[in-house]
Amino acid sequence: MADVGCGEIERPQRWAIPFDPEMSEKDVDAVLGFEPFCRIDPEAFSASVPLRGVLRNDCAIRHYSAGDLIVRAGDYGNSAFFILGGAVRVMVDPLDERLLGRGKTRHRSFRHALARLWRRPHVPEVRDLDGTHRGGPARGIAPNAVPHMFLQDVPAILDQHRTARVGAGEFIGAGAVLGRTERIATMFAEEPCLLVEIRWQGLRELRARAPEIKRHIDELYRQNNLSTHLRQTFLLAALSDATIEELARETQFLSFGSFEWQGAYKKLRDAPVGQELAAEPVIVRQGDYPNGIFLIRSGYVRVSEVYNHGERTVSYLGRGQLFGFDEIRHNWKTGESAPFAHTLRAVGYVDVLYLPTPAVERLVLPAFQDRCLPDDRTHAEPTSVESAYLQDAATKLGPDVLEFLVEHRFVNGTATMIIDLERCTRCDDCVRACAAAHDDNPRFIRHGPEINGFMIANACMHCSDPVCMIGCPTGAIHRETAEGQVVIDDLTCIGCATCANSCPYDNIQMVNVHRADGHLYLDAHTHLPIQKATKCDLCFDQLTGPACVQACPHDALTRADMRDVRGLSRWLNK
Amino acid sequence: MNRFALRRTLGLAAFTGVSLAVLGADRVLHVALHRTQVYSGFALLLVCVGLISFNARKKLPFLPLARASTWLQVHIYAGLTASVLFFVHLDGHVPAGALNVTLECLFAAVTASGIFGLYLSRTLPERLTYHGENVVFERIPALRQRLAAEMAGLAEKSVEESSSSAIADFYRTKLQAYFGGPRNLLAHTFRSTRPRARLLAQADAMRRYLDAAEERILGEVIELVKLKDNLDAQLALQGVLKGWLFVHIPLSYALLVFAVAHGLIALAML
Repeated sequence: MADVGCGEIERPQRWAIPFDPEMSEKDVDAVLGFEPFCRIDPEAFSASVPLRGVLRNDCAIRHYSAGDLIVRAGDYGNSAFFILGGAVRVMVDPLDERLLGRGKTRHRSFRHALARLWRRPHVPEVRDLDGTHRGGPARGIAPNAVPHMFLQDVPAILDQHRTARVGAGEFIGAGAVLGRTERIATMFAEEPCLLVEIRWQGLRELRARAPEIKRHIDELYRQNNLSTHLRQTFLLAALSDATIEELARETQFLSFGSFEWQGAYKKLRDAPVGQELAAEPVIVRQGDYPNGIFLIRSGYVRVSEVYNHGERTVSYLGRGQLFGFDEIRHNWKTGESAPFAHTLRAVGYVDVLYLPTPAVERLVLPAFQDRCLPDDRTHAEPTSVESAYLQDAATKLGPDVLEFLVEHRFVNGTATMIIDLERCTRCDDCVRACAAAHDDNPRFIRHGPEINGFMIANACMHCSDPVCMIGCPTGAIHRETAEGQVVIDDLTCIGCATCANSCPYDNIQMVNVHRADGHLYLDAHTHLPIQKATKCDLCFDQLTGPACVQACPHDALTRADMRDVRGLSRWLNK
Repeated sequence: MNRFALRRTLGLAAFTGVSLAVLGADRVLHVALHRTQVYSGFALLLVCVGLISFNARKKLPFLPLARASTWLQVHIYAGLTASVLFFVHLDGHVPAGALNVTLECLFAAVTASGIFGLYLSRTLPERLTYHGENVVFERIPALRQRLAAEMAGLAEKSVEESSSSAIADFYRTKLQAYFGGPRNLLAHTFRSTRPRARLLAQADAMRRYLDAAEERILGEVIELVKLKDNLDAQLALQGVLKGWLFVHIPLSYALLVFAVAHGLIALAML
């Protein structure tokens, strides 16, 4: 990025910082020699984002030795892998955490934190954009592959755990990237391997422009990931391998709602309640015959029931939770044909695994004939038997709070800022602390919708489905590998505002950036200010954790995970 | 017992225990013919330094120095303990001399303002929450200006649409000043709704002079009056919540300065 004058720079472009600067044209040729890449039609790509550009700038060639960890279960993935050579083992059973060498997010040192006292900039939003061409990969954009971690005693691991072998010509890790979720399985190199790592932006282009790649990935998901997914479902965990495999063959993939749902939501945000409800795609309607179990794979669904002349929300379900099991079990036990007791609607975009009733009756229910059903009340994270969960949500949160959370799509948040207005003295210590932790730039606004004396403040919620990431052309907005916070890398952000426009909650702001000497950074050609996207980063690199929570003297503020209904209700009813 | 009740119980128990220990230690040292006032003086000074450091903690949110809510709890009960230490330090004597009297007054003022501030912090947020729309304190002047402009626009509109001056007169005599700046702050602080009720009654009394179009405009005027009333209430209550600290903190620093001076003089005279 050449400096062309005082405060003037070249506007950052999408591929200004490639995923791997060492990726060469020769490497691109090599990748294009493999199936299914060799079948991709380069003409299907636009002139501004050509196929070779995608491979050159959004991909990296990785070499792994036998035993090297490639991805770890629980880490957040921003890239998928394609195996060019060698074989990879996918852990079906979870591996001992001690073997994974998982590190926490790297925090600033105490000295660095203390230095903020005398290194406070005199102008807002100071950046050092001139130095980008001198540095290596931008902070936070380093490949998500596990760096040089290897498993000892691989034969013993293979003996003691169930694994699946994946060979050359297959994609791995794509599910987590496409679902913007954490990885569900650990993968390591069984033998020396050559992989091409494709970051999300590249994978998105390939899937959009090359139908063969999309088909390939979807088919591989069915072959490789579906069984793991079903096995990790609490209710199905007790089933045998053979039963799971048979169930996987019967399972259907269903999707509801628009992948980029935030636009429609923004339009409907201020619409009357009934109109908003009508716009949510119905997955199952109350009173219908229970034709199967619906396992939520990604996104959120609203569970509602008819109440007089309207519909009352009784709960919301997220990834890993089931719907329909109670009715099917009841009918199977009694011989009755009771219909679905609730309506299920997609809140935003939802991926669902549909297990048809005959398959459930044949494969799942007999496993519980002689045993009590697992009780999710004793389970740390409620994931199945929905009646108990629904009851919990409805009674603990209350119908008004439930309606509010679902209507505003706050159920998507994993670190939603909630302020108890009956305790909040409006001292703004939280805002000042946030500013102090971010070079005097507050990253949230203490203002937002209210319900029953609680405010959901305008702060990034670090969504379980971060739609802000969908359109980012450079991958600047990404998830931290270890803990999954959604953060923005300043150096690779090109200021296109796609994320800010995509955020359904208006929690991302575009700001003009300054040099340390106070000059605005300007585009050398248009002379317009260079902008960057900013938002709450949950103080992921601070020693303290979220500064807002730490700074509140009255315990009036929390960052709540909406998936944890019990924790949420405990805080709201404290 | 909820978390806050449990915390309060534990805090009070700790305060009682420490107070009894202070009183007991003072008696024991007294019987042993020690200079108990030196000990209690030093202890009091240390506690005061600890109490004041809460303000410094607020300036360093990026350092791992425990949560501010924990600091506040310690601040509250340490403040109460300081009162016990203060009375032990006085040992039944009435302070004499300008320095000592000033010091005593400052201590009393800091303690009283602290307790009053705690009371405000626990009671005003609820009133703020349910009075009307919650607004950010710094945005109140801008919001007030917007309401004033809307109000002036309604007054003009009423004249243009009905060729009647009733609403414009009401605006000129009553509302222009009302929307011109903060009003009735004391009334809001002390929960009085009298000014608002009077203004709304005056507006209501005008209906007999209005036609249908003007009645509609009057309805909008009344809504704006209610919004302005909420802004004033927010300003008054948030102002009180912020304002008491402007008494408590400067007095605390003054107390510390006087306490150090008192300690040095006392040590010099030992």
